[in-house]
Amino acid sequence: MTLSPPVPNESDVAAPKSSAGGGRQRPTKKRLTKFNRREALAGYLFISPWIVGFLVFTLGAMIYSLVISFNYYNLAKNTMRPAGLDNYAALFDDPKVALSLRNTLFYAVMAVPLEICFALFLALLLNWVGRGAGAFRTLYYLPKMTPAVATASVFFLLLNGNSGAINQGLGLIGIEGPQWLVDPAWVKPSVVLMTLWGVSGSMVIFLAALKNDPRELCEVASLDGAGRVRQFFSITVPMISSAIFFNTIVLTIAAMQVFDQAYLLFWRHQTNASPDSSLFYGVYLFQQAFRQFDFGLASAMAWLLFVIIMFITLIQVKFGNRLVYYEGDR
Amino acid sequence: MVVSLVLATLVVSVTGACGGGGEEDAGSSEPSGSSGPAFSTNATGALAAWGFDNADEVGTSRLDYAKQQLTGVTIKVDATPFDAQKFTTRAASGDVPDAVQMDRQFVATYAAKGLIKPLDGCFSAYGVKPESQYYPSVVDDVRYDGKVWAVPQFYQPPAIMLNKRVMDKAGVTPAEIDTSNPDGLLAAVSKLYKADGNNPSTLGLDAQPTGQAGLWLLGFGGQLIGEDGAPTLDNPNNTKALEVLKKLTDAQGGYAKVKSFTDSFDFFGDKNQFVKDQVGAEVAPQWFVNVLTPYVKDVEISAVPFKDSSGKPFTVASGSAFVIPEAAKNPDAACAWMVKLTSQDAWMAAGAARAKTIAKTPGAINTGLFTGSPAADQAIRTEYVKASDNAGFDEAIATYYDVVAQGKSFGSSPAGQQIQTELQNAVASALLGTKAPDAALKDAQTAAMRAYNQAR
Repeated sequence: MTLSPPVPNESDVAAPKSSAGGGRQRPTKKRLTKFNRREALAGYLFISPWIVGFLVFTLGAMIYSLVISFNYYNLAKNTMRPAGLDNYAALFDDPKVALSLRNTLFYAVMAVPLEICFALFLALLLNWVGRGAGAFRTLYYLPKMTPAVATASVFFLLLNGNSGAINQGLGLIGIEGPQWLVDPAWVKPSVVLMTLWGVSGSMVIFLAALKNDPRELCEVASLDGAGRVRQFFSITVPMISSAIFFNTIVLTIAAMQVFDQAYLLFWRHQTNASPDSSLFYGVYLFQQAFRQFDFGLASAMAWLLFVIIMFITLIQVKFGNRLVYYEGDR
Repeated sequence: MVVSLVLATLVVSVTGACGGGGEEDAGSSEPSGSSGPAFSTNATGALAAWGFDNADEVGTSRLDYAKQQLTGVTIKVDATPFDAQKFTTRAASGDVPDAVQMDRQFVATYAAKGLIKPLDGCFSAYGVKPESQYYPSVVDDVRYDGKVWAVPQFYQPPAIMLNKRVMDKAGVTPAEIDTSNPDGLLAAVSKLYKADGNNPSTLGLDAQPTGQAGLWLLGFGGQLIGEDGAPTLDNPNNTKALEVLKKLTDAQGGYAKVKSFTDSFDFFGDKNQFVKDQVGAEVAPQWFVNVLTPYVKDVEISAVPFKDSSGKPFTVASGSAFVIPEAAKNPDAACAWMVKLTSQDAWMAAGAARAKTIAKTPGAINTGLFTGSPAADQAIRTEYVKASDNAGFDEAIATYYDVVAQGKSFGSSPAGQQIQTELQNAVASALLGTKAPDAALKDAQTAAMRAYNQAR
């Protein structure tokens, strides 16, 4: 018994026909058979734990958050008093909301292209390696499995402006490295560096796309005199454009929600050298909720972020689709 | 269908039909002016407590003592660190512990939100007068809106620890490390400071400008929080302190270099900054003397008090405290437990346990316990803190005991944490040179005031 949704047979469905006089006949929808209904039900039952989890812990929480955003929420009594649009208006009055949003957008514009390039570079290396690819794949994926706190502790040392390994490496080639964790101008790049440590998720997606890249096209291009670089940009990139598009959307969403790296590098201890430049939107939202206990405002911030991310994603989809090649396209 | 549900919820929320029963959205559970809930001394039943993460013998001995005293109470302790997110979740669900240990700087914030109970009734039930039991600054840490909201414990006053080896080499005397004489201090720091290329290799004074900003500002006559809990970061004397800090850090390579250097210290390890002579002097809390005792053969230390502008020893209070959440199921048992834990007898049991641990290591030094209670501190000092064969350590220990009574509280505010963050912002901006000190403090005051108004 398969669990895939029932596929109507050709004979059961009248295929759409285009006639000389224009117009198309709509396909006749075939009713599911009893067997297909049982199959579908089994499928839904199997995914029901996820559905319940989604409804309760994601959708339910989102709806409750939306409710809170229009109220003044009293944590001590677990009661709410209507606030109308006051919480949303407060977002525009608070300069730190704009500051944190600016910091986050700046970080996202810097981080996403670098993550795409770095992940693609690693995937190309893995695709090129023959023997030992499995071992390298595991090694490259290990950073993703490392707890964020441990990673932050390591980067705290690596990024030290005086004695960190990164600046010592730069010093070997005659570059005086910046004060990554102290200089306001270099705080966001330091967070980007820590983010690049965890690109292995995107790398795996690129690797899968590269494996599907038809080699015969490259061989033909090579016969026609195209070099490796030309082949990469004219054949490989278009062929994996759907993976690039997917990663761009996902990484942008993640970048707009950045929290772990910023909080662990700058906000965990009481000695933050650059509070304003390290104030990311997620961190400020967290502070509003768990320092100020202003859950109404924090919920309004969350929904504002949701709208902004949705807007950015819609723009990416609208324009990105023009650049993406899908194998099924004609 | 989901979209319809969301839209319906939106409409209902905005038009107010989703309101709860309460009118007030903040504030204590008791009307202003009342003394708070009464507590009974008949402690029975189950007690759920949250605190004592990584408890050493000082903690476990007191827990054992309290358990012995409360024979009718079954005590269960969640020994994980306090976490605001976890506490908030539990408060929202109504499933809170009966007693919670938290940093004292959080107490006023939680009190202002009505999340914890005032404890004047708890103290009076057991005949404890906070003003007599604890140092005044320690009580001020947990006093808000005229009531006392927590049972305080510990008090770790900062002073200036000296690295005599570095100082002797540079020809600097302890008297020159004098915060009441900024010019003299600057000269001494410049003599002690050493650089390796562009980076510091020895700091003259690790002033801890962001970690101990409050000490510097209050020491120079400034103020962080007013009587009513409102921020006062733009107090003119705060600017003076910030200017002194800027001069000190600029004389040692600049704030960025100093911060990166101090971040690389092996603070608790065998290659710490006093072993490796990376500092000539450092503003350090009392517990750091204890950290250095295992390395007594590798360090040469002493200490001098931080002095205020008039030359008097000065320090600031800090530490932790126990609170009773508003929704606690067994507040009477919680009250009894907290009072027993911080009683004189409990502290003496802790002192004995600490002495026993130290005695296992020949030559180890007992640096004393700083409990938040003057009577307990003195009793433990008399009983267990004896002269060692290391004069430097003895001087350091004596210095901390001398300053402990000179402490001042930062003040308590419902926006306490945010005020500290804005202060850090101001200090960092001023020391990095991106803003002038007075402008930095003015901006910090505006932001802190906003947070204060939001928190009330």
